Amino acid sequence: MNYKLLHIFRNTPFGRETFFQSLYFCKMINAYPVVYIPKSDKFLMYFSNDAVQVDLDHSYLTTPATAKSHAEELFNEMGVKPMFYEPKNFTASSLPDISTNIDYLCCPRSVSDLSSKIGLGHIGPKVRRIIKHATFPILITSPVFKPWKSISVFFGGSKNALTALKLGLKIAMSSGLFLDIYTLLEKDEVYYRDLIKKEGLDAPVSQLSKQWHFYKKSNFDTMLYDVPHNSLIVLGAYGHGIIKDLLLGSKMEQIQSTVTNNLLITGPYCTVSL
Amino acid sequence: MELSVFDLSKHLGVVPNTIERWIRQGKLPVSQKGAKYRFDTKELEKWASKHNIRLNFSDKDAIQKDIKSVIPLSAAVQNGGVFFDIQGTDVNSVLKSAIGKITNIPDDFKTDLLDRLIEREKALSTGIGNGIAIPHPREQLGYLTEPLVSICFLENPVDYKALDNQPVSVLFFILCPELKMHLHLLSALSFCLRDNQFTNFLKSRPDPIALIEKIEILQKANPI
Amino acid sequence: MSTIKNGYKILYQKLFHLDDRLLLIIAGSIAGICSGLAAVALRLSLESVLEWLHPFRHYGWAFIFPAIGALLSSLYLEKIAREGAGHGVPEVIYSVSRYGGLLRFRSSYSRLISSFLTIGSGGSAGPEAPVVMSGSAIGSSLAKFLGLNDRQRITLVGCGTAGAIASIFNAPIAGLVFSIEVILGEWKFVNIIPIAIAAVAGAQVSQAIIPEQVLFFHQPFNVGFPDIMASLCLALVTAMISVLFTKTLRQTGKLAKKAPFPLWVRAVIGGCIVGITGMFMPVVLAEGYHFIQSMISGTFSMGIFITFVAIFAKIFATSMTLGWGGSGGIFAPCLLIGSLTGIVFHKALFFLFPTIGCASEGAYALLGMTGIISGVMQAPLTGIFLIVEITGGYETILPLIVVSSISSTMSHYIEPASFYFKELIERGQFLRPGTDARILSDLNISELIQTEFIKVSENMVFRKFIEILKTSKQNFYPVIEDETGDYKGVIQISAIRKYALDPGMYDMIFLNQIMDTNVITASLENDLQEVLDMMDIDNMESIPVVENDRFIGMISKTRILDLYRRELIMQTSVQ
Repeated sequence: MNYKLLHIFRNTPFGRETFFQSLYFCKMINAYPVVYIPKSDKFLMYFSNDAVQVDLDHSYLTTPATAKSHAEELFNEMGVKPMFYEPKNFTASSLPDISTNIDYLCCPRSVSDLSSKIGLGHIGPKVRRIIKHATFPILITSPVFKPWKSISVFFGGSKNALTALKLGLKIAMSSGLFLDIYTLLEKDEVYYRDLIKKEGLDAPVSQLSKQWHFYKKSNFDTMLYDVPHNSLIVLGAYGHGIIKDLLLGSKMEQIQSTVTNNLLITGPYCTVSL
Repeated sequence: MELSVFDLSKHLGVVPNTIERWIRQGKLPVSQKGAKYRFDTKELEKWASKHNIRLNFSDKDAIQKDIKSVIPLSAAVQNGGVFFDIQGTDVNSVLKSAIGKITNIPDDFKTDLLDRLIEREKALSTGIGNGIAIPHPREQLGYLTEPLVSICFLENPVDYKALDNQPVSVLFFILCPELKMHLHLLSALSFCLRDNQFTNFLKSRPDPIALIEKIEILQKANPI
Repeated sequence: MSTIKNGYKILYQKLFHLDDRLLLIIAGSIAGICSGLAAVALRLSLESVLEWLHPFRHYGWAFIFPAIGALLSSLYLEKIAREGAGHGVPEVIYSVSRYGGLLRFRSSYSRLISSFLTIGSGGSAGPEAPVVMSGSAIGSSLAKFLGLNDRQRITLVGCGTAGAIASIFNAPIAGLVFSIEVILGEWKFVNIIPIAIAAVAGAQVSQAIIPEQVLFFHQPFNVGFPDIMASLCLALVTAMISVLFTKTLRQTGKLAKKAPFPLWVRAVIGGCIVGITGMFMPVVLAEGYHFIQSMISGTFSMGIFITFVAIFAKIFATSMTLGWGGSGGIFAPCLLIGSLTGIVFHKALFFLFPTIGCASEGAYALLGMTGIISGVMQAPLTGIFLIVEITGGYETILPLIVVSSISSTMSHYIEPASFYFKELIERGQFLRPGTDARILSDLNISELIQTEFIKVSENMVFRKFIEILKTSKQNFYPVIEDETGDYKGVIQISAIRKYALDPGMYDMIFLNQIMDTNVITASLENDLQEVLDMMDIDNMESIPVVENDRFIGMISKTRILDLYRRELIMQTSVQ
């Protein structure tokens, strides 16, 4: 299949690392990246039940003259054909509508606050809102380009976690890498295995996964430390109700504030088919 | 009965994307169960009649019909049978005695069928050369339940006004209830007859079981 | 909060799911009340700030007020609210027609503040478009909160708009008519009732807080037959002036965009010019409601020549305010220009025919207003009902209808697109329900595409291809490269017929020798309009869709017709 990843290009050294991350991701899973070089400091994304305005920080607009050639250089360095996205519709003349008809979106942890603030434990409000409404998974990159060599799925048994598991399997299939599943036991092991069987995922899981790690509920930190430093983490961000809408799921918050790995996050509206 | 987005997309002849857009735009009577959308057949029918949209609930029959029309040649030969030593000295008498032998045709229709076959031969001979003829009526025979291909070996070769003026010694009757089957069988048969090995094999007047086996082998080489 | 949402969920499943009319009426009235409150808040705060600034008006340096206002307003919009500033109403129409009325929450307050700064400081603009913007954003946000679908959300956007207009003018019918005529563009039974209720709710809110009955009081007019004849001529004049107004507004805006200044300098320049104009001609400043009042009640004291100049001064000032960085609407300026035109016309009429038995100046001010409103917005019904309601007088309705219909027809003849729609039409985004453009934009390429195609390799021998040909029903065969799977070209059966019937060619050629590589290809990014244009160029029946060098599928005209018809039925049928 033909998967498309949208990358919003930031013409700074930090943006270069993010972009390498996108390119690497695309190469691994056989997708193709499309780059949007912003011309104004904001854009709109229309999802099925919300219009999210993304205000980009200033660094996205630095030296627009070199942006395209820089992007092309990086494309060539990774041996990928350069492709650029041009918005077609405009809500107002300086407010383009960015198509949400994509398969993946690459985001740094924050797009609207200054990048100097970006650190662990901080995911910008716009990125959160995109995750909440997106029908596609979001790739949240680590600050520095780091190739990943394995896939780790955090599976907590919720509906969203099943989506994440499917996504993990899909990526394992197309990249040829094995995946590890990490589960923090809230019920006994059999419950989780039955859940997967019920969804018809037991065959691909046994085929593609290297190991299923179970941890006692209190050993959350141990689990996070056990996740290989060079693996792509796939997980679901769950949001139910008003309070949780503001934050991502509590586990998700803890994970994103602890690990430095690349995160691939599926939101509540995200659908993945194997 | 309840339908999913995928089911409905099949019934309406659109892709699931369109159904999802219509749901989003509020144009379909839908109920939501968790993350999945469900449609109630009764409500849908009410909605469809109001909007003058045809809901294609019965498309399964059409597929079955399609399957029925592509009966393989070997099966048709089995229906029709293989007959030897047909007597006669000219086209009409040969056809008459051959039809007399074919068992699967109801007796009341045999004279009618003979007239039709003779009429067809008058228009243009069905002798395709190499000692073979494929007699068939122009109109299809609605009274048959299944297509028949009967192979009749003549006692003595007969002058059939064939394309190559050779006397004919084998007749392949193609009798079908529908035109589509007829064309299919005709095409399958002519594929077999183009094979030199097969025509030589025919000249040896093989027994029915060996003949049908041979046809089955050839059929596999030309799947339709 | 979550208990409210849960309660709503139960209610929704039990009650509203069966029929959403009740839900829409309740939600619509809430939207109407909220937007009514927003409108009242803006109106009251404008009144008080104008009063507060009034003593300073006659100082020589007062001309910088509009400059400061415009500066603050543009900086607020760009830097704090970060709206991509536009005129507001077109944005609402755009979102209603393309995205099911999805609006940003920030729009529900940002325009209120920015237009308060602009108008309060004396900039020539109206508070109506900002309240329409915030009303519709309130409706949209409410619909988002309730998780409604596009159709219901659009109704709520209409409710918010109606509530806002009804409240700021205390004119419920005008609110209903404006919302349907200008914003939604379709008269549907299911829309009208919730919107009417929202309009009434908005008007009630305004009456409860500001206990006056009508916006402009007047003495009863005596309208006779000569007035109807005169109104025919007046209509022609207002049509001219509305076209002039529309064109000036647009040209000034374009000029400002070309000007090599940063945004805030532009706003200051525009504001200063407005301020200086206002020094000589105070009638042009702010929304000018009280000048309108004086004109209607016949106490307006300017001479004919000054009044005539004032028309153009107001047009100029409004264009400078809106085009150069201020924020606000054109509703109130239209009313003021209209009443000035009416007065000038009346004076000229008496000058030429001193004995004529015409109605008073005030009646002509009303007629002028209708003429300009209908001419600029090309919304005749809104013009009629608005004037009738804001003056509370039905005795002028006959000439009102005459002026309104002639003026809108005439200006439509000269300038086919109204001020609100012009920008959208130029961008090809004027997508009214049930129109061709709307259907083409709704149908997505991915919905039309037929993907089940046998692909053939470019190095395939022709004989093998003939074998494939026998068993498949396709008329088009995409040719792909062996290793990469990239799309190379397409083989169309009708184009290769003569080779296909010649068995001598079968072993002589490879597919890459007979494939057609010059076929135009579409991509998933294209919209249907573009795809149809591409097909028209080469008179194609089908067009291949290629994305990232991969063949995705074909789009055929037959399939388009099939789905186009379905979509048309879906959009135009009565719910």
